[in-house]
Amino acid sequence: MSDRRAALSETTLVDQLLADQQMLTAVEQFSALHERGHVKERYSALLPASPLSTGEQYAFEVNLDACTGCKACVVACHSLNGLDDNESFRDVGLLVGSGYQQTVTTACHHCEDPACANGCPVCAYEKDATTGIVKHLDDQCIGCQYCMLKCPYEVPKWNERLGIVRKCDMCAQRLAVGESPACVQACPTSAIRIVKRRTGVSPVANSSALLPDTFDSSYTLPTTSYVNRRVMPEDARAADRDVVRVQPTHWPLVMMLVLTQLSVGLLVASVWHPSLLISAVVCLHAGLGVSVLHLGRPMGAWRFFLGLRRSWMSREILAFSVLAGLAMASLLFVPVWITAMVGLVAVFTSAMIYIDTRRSWWSAPRTLVSFFGTVVKLGASGAAAMTGDAVCTALALTSGAVLWFVEPHLQRGAMTSLRIVHERLASEAKAKRVCALMAMGYQSLVLMMPSLAFVLGPVAFVCSLAACVGERVIFFKAVDAPKMPGGVTR
Amino acid sequence: MSGGASRSVVPGFSPSVLASAPASKTVGHLSGDGLKPETTLRSLLFRHTGPLTEQLKREQGLFGVGQVPSPLKPTAVTNMVCGFCATGCSLKVHLRDGEAVNLSANENYPVNLGMACPKGWEALTPLDAPDRGTTPLLNGKPVCWNTASQTFVQRMKAIIAEHGPESVAVLSTGQIVTEEMAFLGAFAKFGMGIRHLDSNTRQCMATAATAYKQSFGFDAPPFTYADFEESDVLVFIGANPCIAHPIMWQRVMMNKRSPKIVVVDPRRTETAMAATHHYAIQPKSDLTLLYGLANLVIERDAVDREFIARSTNGYDEFVAFVKAFDMERVSRETGISVAQLHEFADLIASKKRVSFWWTMGVNQGHESTRTAQAIINLALMTGNIGKPGTGANSITGQCNAMGSRLFANATSLIGGYDPAKPEHRAKVAGILGMEEALIHPELGLAYDQIMERVADGRIKALWVLATNTSHSWIDSEAANRALEKLEFLCVQDMYPTTDTAKRAHLYLPAAGWGEKEGTFINAERRIGIVKKVKRAPGQALSDFNILRLLANAWGCEDWFAKWSSPESVFELLKQLSAGQPCDITGIEGYEMIESVSGVQWPLPKDEAGMMKGERRLFEDGRFFHADGRAKFLFDEPRAMPEMPSAEYPMVLLTGRGTSAQWHTNTRTEKSAILRKLYPAHCYIELHPEDAAALSVTDQQRVCVSSRRATIQCTAVLTSTVQRGQCFMPMHYEEVNKLTFAAFDSHSRQPSYKACAVRVAAGDPVRCG
Repeated sequence: MSDRRAALSETTLVDQLLADQQMLTAVEQFSALHERGHVKERYSALLPASPLSTGEQYAFEVNLDACTGCKACVVACHSLNGLDDNESFRDVGLLVGSGYQQTVTTACHHCEDPACANGCPVCAYEKDATTGIVKHLDDQCIGCQYCMLKCPYEVPKWNERLGIVRKCDMCAQRLAVGESPACVQACPTSAIRIVKRRTGVSPVANSSALLPDTFDSSYTLPTTSYVNRRVMPEDARAADRDVVRVQPTHWPLVMMLVLTQLSVGLLVASVWHPSLLISAVVCLHAGLGVSVLHLGRPMGAWRFFLGLRRSWMSREILAFSVLAGLAMASLLFVPVWITAMVGLVAVFTSAMIYIDTRRSWWSAPRTLVSFFGTVVKLGASGAAAMTGDAVCTALALTSGAVLWFVEPHLQRGAMTSLRIVHERLASEAKAKRVCALMAMGYQSLVLMMPSLAFVLGPVAFVCSLAACVGERVIFFKAVDAPKMPGGVTR
Repeated sequence: MSGGASRSVVPGFSPSVLASAPASKTVGHLSGDGLKPETTLRSLLFRHTGPLTEQLKREQGLFGVGQVPSPLKPTAVTNMVCGFCATGCSLKVHLRDGEAVNLSANENYPVNLGMACPKGWEALTPLDAPDRGTTPLLNGKPVCWNTASQTFVQRMKAIIAEHGPESVAVLSTGQIVTEEMAFLGAFAKFGMGIRHLDSNTRQCMATAATAYKQSFGFDAPPFTYADFEESDVLVFIGANPCIAHPIMWQRVMMNKRSPKIVVVDPRRTETAMAATHHYAIQPKSDLTLLYGLANLVIERDAVDREFIARSTNGYDEFVAFVKAFDMERVSRETGISVAQLHEFADLIASKKRVSFWWTMGVNQGHESTRTAQAIINLALMTGNIGKPGTGANSITGQCNAMGSRLFANATSLIGGYDPAKPEHRAKVAGILGMEEALIHPELGLAYDQIMERVADGRIKALWVLATNTSHSWIDSEAANRALEKLEFLCVQDMYPTTDTAKRAHLYLPAAGWGEKEGTFINAERRIGIVKKVKRAPGQALSDFNILRLLANAWGCEDWFAKWSSPESVFELLKQLSAGQPCDITGIEGYEMIESVSGVQWPLPKDEAGMMKGERRLFEDGRFFHADGRAKFLFDEPRAMPEMPSAEYPMVLLTGRGTSAQWHTNTRTEKSAILRKLYPAHCYIELHPEDAAALSVTDQQRVCVSSRRATIQCTAVLTSTVQRGQCFMPMHYEEVNKLTFAAFDSHSRQPSYKACAVRVAAGDPVRCG
């Protein structure tokens, strides 16, 4: 009996303690603070004292001597801006050298000539005429991620949940009421501040790089200034310079590029073999269809023409839209050679998208050879497979052989990190070479024994297609992605 | 505050330009005023607003928090002290309906002045982790609290009955509030009759506590943070505040006196980079260096004779002792050139305000107490104590290590008393209303001695609270083998997923910081408030409530009748402190601590009216020994216990990796944004020339072996470590498999900072 009473009273205690645990007492016991919502002195420190004059813009200035790597700026940006779980618009990296280390805080450089804005097909970036802030319009963004390829500082950040990129806007809403950006107000050592900066007149800063291992500033004219009194040694380098960073494959883009280039090749062949036109049109629409999968928010893509003045992405969409229409019309009345010419222009715009990022792996010679090489090689082997045409087979074999020898030469001069990436991608590269070799083998057999054309031609085509897909996968995965110095990451 | 006047719009900005220009067009469009075709077209083509833009909308928060994300706009705010390190920053918690949704740093608190480090900014996130414990677990299976508490009592009582009270021990923490520590100490020792209770503060602050106790007569860090700003020469020994205490470094940067900043550290740390002088000594040669410096200061006759005569004992013996530390010897043993030694001595002898700061580089050594006292000796002999910008100052580690040191009933009788003294036992028993006989006249065993007895089977039951022994204890593989032998392991923690909790027979789910009330004491002796701003998940209970439950189940609830709430325990602690150096009888209660932004001890009742914001100790030159004098204490340096050898030729240094990681990373790993700020996997820093000799390249996998274990990690090449040395951050579980279990004989603190290892280019599959 007494046991039961004890058990009863204990139950009561547990329940009482559990209930007590769920009571929030901070407000009841301690009067909540009721200061009015004025902007405090701390929040307005480290901002310029006088108005902007013409030819000036706001910019971040980082005092490297004061930056000691606490990374409060990264987390304050996250917390005070209500960003997603692992999202922040600021990063902290590291430079190392002989007996030297220097942490580097970095966010958007609000460039004078922002590559992100120049590349955006739908004008989702605005450079504010007064303040110079490069602002991203989240609702305008279609999630094509081209800005991420264009920016050499890894500033636009992909948001999987929303299907768009987001980026630093220098906390423009805060600045508008005289409050410092989150990172500025959170830095314990006041290493970050907002300064006025004259635009277009600092060739020294603009022609070199912001820091060791960062991209040539002449590309975008970044406005952030890194100042220091402590001497940076000659051998200072980004701590993550040699970290192997294999880039995303972008499968929709891989398939889009291969299919549209195959299609343009077939269109050219259709000038001589009109029967190929239907397959060309099918490939084209398949390629364009799959490209939509790359967009985070495809419903806004109809605005693509807004960027025509600056964006190769806009021009590509225009070129392929025209091409899609012409290709259909070719089935009825438009001469095929006109469509084929437009197709070649469209492939050129595809190539320019990548060339315009100024990444060394996507140099003009490599990209043009690769893309037009695909047009010739796949177009010819496709035409050969479907028509059994010996000229097409010979062309496919020749172009395959030329590319086989030319491609390695175009890889020379790539950076160390690229070479390491290529080691990492050795199996992909090997598979690609094997496929190309098999295609050439079958094509040689067809030339020697034309009667086998309708059996071995398609096999050769499939091998060529696989080789081109492999080549395009490596095109994306192996690219050098310039960025600000990072820290130890793994 | 005339803050309202400072609402100056930044030049060039007008809200209409930036924030609301597009919005106003939309309004115009919707209201039909001046509807122009181009406006419609433009708004169709350019979407300046919409659901995605709204997601990042910020608006002015009230309560002086500046702009905040609209969805997290607080309806009230409340200030509380952070629960990570001993800096003791105040965080302004943003509340909606009384529950925390966000936080910012409190700009009106004298500690952090509106700043926080990444851990502070993310302090709320670990509370929402999916792996929080929500119910007690018995052998991994959920049970109710009744079963859990009865199991605890039955198992503990059975083991005590069979093997005696010495067969049970408690390992506690510096991470819970003082009131809980006191309750735990009282319940375990007086209630359960357990002899041995120690905590993880043994791993970080035991040395400082012991050194102060022996030198000053009481465990009393003398400084206040204003000393960072008021010093002319700041000497950091074995401390990397840029990473470990960023907000203290903020105070150094606020120093307007163009100070000389000296860093003594084998590594060229972030702090060494930011300093004006860096002396990269050989590992564990700090004691020799400090004695050599004392010798040089004496040679320069830069001592404060009057202070020495009035306030110290043992100076003449000390002078005779350090004569043996001539410059050749010191230079040879430390690796510092004679010229550098003279330069360093000149800085200390400058007769300006010199302050000395140390932390784990000193505390975690094999002769750490004497090293800390060698620092204290330098401050004493130059009179650099008790004045602005001076002091021999230990920078504490955990948020409540200082509370533990005074009130945990572990390293002293609760309240800083000596259990060997009958009058102390009588006083404590009287205040607590307990029988004096319950107080054992001897202190219990230290952490390492407890682990030794766990290993040899003499201790059969262990109760671990808010610490992660499996990861953090030195030579951890041996520690884990010992834990395997326990008949009963009870772990009380926020997470059942810590390395230690996974081994527990009984797991008790604890509420965390922010889910309970109480006080912390920070490194400058400032008592700050912790509040309940989040609901604990499931059936998790605060440690305080768990202790009430267990005391009740044990059958000693009557002894703890007065211990009904944290604040009632605080009242008891006040009474215990009366007449002690840490007298806090002048504190009225939690509300007073809140209203005056924390209170530094001491604050006796009769001085409460004259309280100043920042206070340091020993301004009158009186110390806590009976004769009011401080002691010069010293011993001959000894070689480090595990010297590099042919087989293990390198010295492994360990320490804090980044400011975004805390100890064994059990909480900081729960935040996605913090995880971005540190490497996910263990790494080792190697000098590029050593790496070249080993044919190791940057980012390569390597094997690191000591006599205890072999582990794999990534090599990071940096010349911030010296040749022959390497560095690994302690946050990765592998690291303590390598460390060598040596202890300071006075403080029993483990020597984590140096052991002998071998590094080899690693087979990616296994290390041979």
